[in-house]
Amino acid sequence: MTTSVEPAGGQPFLAARGITKRFPGVLALDRVDLEVDAGRVHAVLGQNGAGKTTLMNVLFGLVQPDEGAVYLRGRRVSIRSPHDALALGIGMVHQTRRLVAAHTVLENLLLGHPQARGLLNPRRARREVEALCARYGIALDLGARVWQLSEGEKQWVEILKALYLGARILILDEPTSVLTPPEVERLLAGLRTLVREQGVTVLLVTHKLPIVMALSDTVTVLRAGRVVARLPTREATEERLVAHMIGRDIAPPHLTEAAGGERPALLRVEELAAYNDKGVLALRGVSFALRAGEILGIAGVTGNGQEELVQVLAGLRPPAGGRVLLDGAEATWWPPLERWRRGIGYIPAERVEVASIAPFTLVENTALTFHFDPAFTPRALLDYPGLERLTREILTTYAVRAPHPHVPAQHLSGGNLQKLILGRVLARRPRVLLAHLPTQGLDVEAAAFVRGRLLDARAAGAGVLLVSEDLDEILSLSDRVAPIYEGRLVAVLPRAEAHPEMVGAMMAGWRREAAARS
Amino acid sequence: MRVGPYLLTVEPRRTSSPLHGVLTAVVAIVVALVLSSVLFLPAEGGPLHAYRVVFAYAFADRYGFLATVHRAIYLLLCTFAFLVPFRAGLWNIGLPSQVYAGGLAAFAVPALLGGPDLTTPPVAPGLLVLVMAVAGVVGGAVLAAVAGLLRARLNVNEILVTMMLNSIFFWLVAYMIKEGGPFMSATGEGEGFSLPSFLYAPLWAGVPVTALLAVGAAVLLDGLFARTALGYRIRAFGLNPQAARYGGIDPLTLPILVFVVGGAFGGLAGYHYFAAVPGVYKIPGNYGYYGDLAFYGIICALIARGSGVGAVPVALLFAGLSLGARLAQGQLHLPFGVDYALLGLLMMTFVASHVLYQYQPVWRPAAEPAAPPVSADAAEG
Repeated sequence: MTTSVEPAGGQPFLAARGITKRFPGVLALDRVDLEVDAGRVHAVLGQNGAGKTTLMNVLFGLVQPDEGAVYLRGRRVSIRSPHDALALGIGMVHQTRRLVAAHTVLENLLLGHPQARGLLNPRRARREVEALCARYGIALDLGARVWQLSEGEKQWVEILKALYLGARILILDEPTSVLTPPEVERLLAGLRTLVREQGVTVLLVTHKLPIVMALSDTVTVLRAGRVVARLPTREATEERLVAHMIGRDIAPPHLTEAAGGERPALLRVEELAAYNDKGVLALRGVSFALRAGEILGIAGVTGNGQEELVQVLAGLRPPAGGRVLLDGAEATWWPPLERWRRGIGYIPAERVEVASIAPFTLVENTALTFHFDPAFTPRALLDYPGLERLTREILTTYAVRAPHPHVPAQHLSGGNLQKLILGRVLARRPRVLLAHLPTQGLDVEAAAFVRGRLLDARAAGAGVLLVSEDLDEILSLSDRVAPIYEGRLVAVLPRAEAHPEMVGAMMAGWRREAAARS
Repeated sequence: MRVGPYLLTVEPRRTSSPLHGVLTAVVAIVVALVLSSVLFLPAEGGPLHAYRVVFAYAFADRYGFLATVHRAIYLLLCTFAFLVPFRAGLWNIGLPSQVYAGGLAAFAVPALLGGPDLTTPPVAPGLLVLVMAVAGVVGGAVLAAVAGLLRARLNVNEILVTMMLNSIFFWLVAYMIKEGGPFMSATGEGEGFSLPSFLYAPLWAGVPVTALLAVGAAVLLDGLFARTALGYRIRAFGLNPQAARYGGIDPLTLPILVFVVGGAFGGLAGYHYFAAVPGVYKIPGNYGYYGDLAFYGIICALIARGSGVGAVPVALLFAGLSLGARLAQGQLHLPFGVDYALLGLLMMTFVASHVLYQYQPVWRPAAEPAAPPVSADAAEG
């Protein structure tokens, strides 16, 4: 584990050559070459479905390539399982957390560790892990339960786990997708230390350009299963990388003209409050009116009450105070079903956990917001042929890449799943649309598509509540912008007054009135 | 693994066909029978003869086959009692208690009319038989609803509740039928009073009317899950309760509903065994044996992968083997418990086949590509 990494005579440290992998109906990887130098950060960039994750799964032994081979220090290696990969010093941190929430950090680290076979010696393990933390400069409370940790800390537990298993090459699959901006900063700083000072090699899989630019030394761009570019990061620009990723330039959709005049308020929220799962008052009195044909952007760093706000509005969390009116009718306590029926559509941030049912087919997933609709439930039966037609329509209209409507939803990539969910919710023609982090984790093209559809919904007269952490997204789409901080709206600004610096400052707690007084 | 010029690997199965499923089940049965032939080694005439005795009695003998059918109906109803909540992701382990509740509720009808002293029908006997069956269904449903209610409103684990109800109802039955109990037989032999013959459930060729209900329910249940909106809601809730709630499925009523339906089947199973099977027509002293037998409903539901129709052959097989093996044990002087051991082995091979079925062996040529030269510059850069 302490062997130092030396590049072996001109050979790349880790190389994959001519990797081809076919899945039923899909050529996931087409003769892909990858070369990674020791002690460097190598970014693998590409859109959803470009083959990044498949390539990493090949290197980690989760997927066997149909053709091609992997070489470590110039020697061909056979990686048939993650066990083989770890024996070669290759560790992987997956996009989704694979930790036992009820166990402590230390217990999670021991899980699957060779030392944990037979008798467990927690004291010795703790000493070893503490030494490892000290060496790599990782600050973690080993006795804390995983559910108590933030997403950023959980990420570090996973990285530490890979290191404790002896990894010297770390594969990080979309490591920043669920992190807040400050957590991303900490992650990048920590990874730089690992690479610069400890000689760890990092393979970074992402579709986020700023992360690539900030961290990597070299970048390989994949598109539709092929390598389309490989270049040192210092020679790259974001624009050039985007052009490689999508094969053409893309203009992000944005609002050209804010809604003018006083439109009628569809949804009125008055002094709404709610507790979070840990019993803390996370939403502390929020009031606003959402008008027909506008997008109201709630800008905030995750954890400032916006999650609770959308959940209360969707009927999935009881309010602790205040009320909600739809068209003047008291809607505070309507159950979710009533809200769907009355035209409130909800796109949750949790696509896999809440918005879809992984083993269900796409048709069955479409039914999730139609099983109560009289048009699809003749004589208590569910109209599966009708739902299939609707699903096919959604697949076409929303450019969902899926072989047919009867594949399980778990076979869709994140972007395609989100487009299906969006299509399904918009197919109900909601008058109020709650969109929570609708483009999180999506590639440039899919995100642009989703934003375009939100604008379409607005043009069709829906009131859209857009909750996002992405300030650019909020500013480019919203008629009005409401920064949220610690459970309260800091202000509700018309588009013309919403300057990025000010909104950014308000998201961090700055208040105009307070500033004016001082 | 390398075999000659080929690589043999085991990979997750991507596609599955119903035919494969049936074949897997048949292989599992054959493997179980081969394995359990060890149990029959001490049998007079050897294992093959023992199997002939088992199968001849269970499926070829007129009386034996009737007994198999009676028991299969019972197992099938217990299977549905487990299956309906199971499709909603909830575990009904309270099959025995629902069977007991169904039996007690059914026998409460004649008991209220005089019990052992009831000799002439006060109203049309057909009506009374119907009332008994309905009482059995309601008894099971109400009892199971307790578990559903506690689960939905207070998030109390349904497994614990149903398990404890099993114990409570075991002793409640004992109190009701044994000496001094309200349902005790006229002679007090530690069993319940016998039904007057005019309250026997109607028979066709020795098979009670409950057979029709069981087979009909098998078809209806499959239709419920495959075609109806309610079935969809139950399946959605079972696979992802959070998503179901997001989709407007009420997490408070659905658990109660599936437990009511499941419990109704459990209650009907109790009615069937105690009030419709020829030769029983009472709550016998060994009612605990039937309670234990009810647990095989769980196994049948799991093996049939949640399909009602699929459970029919499984229930027939389990019923036949349990009866045949019990007979063979007596006839061929085999050790006690051979029947349970056989069922146990069958269970294990079925479960193993389910896991193994998820994988398939894959052969591919293990051609060793020569290490290609280091590619200079990929594409562009």
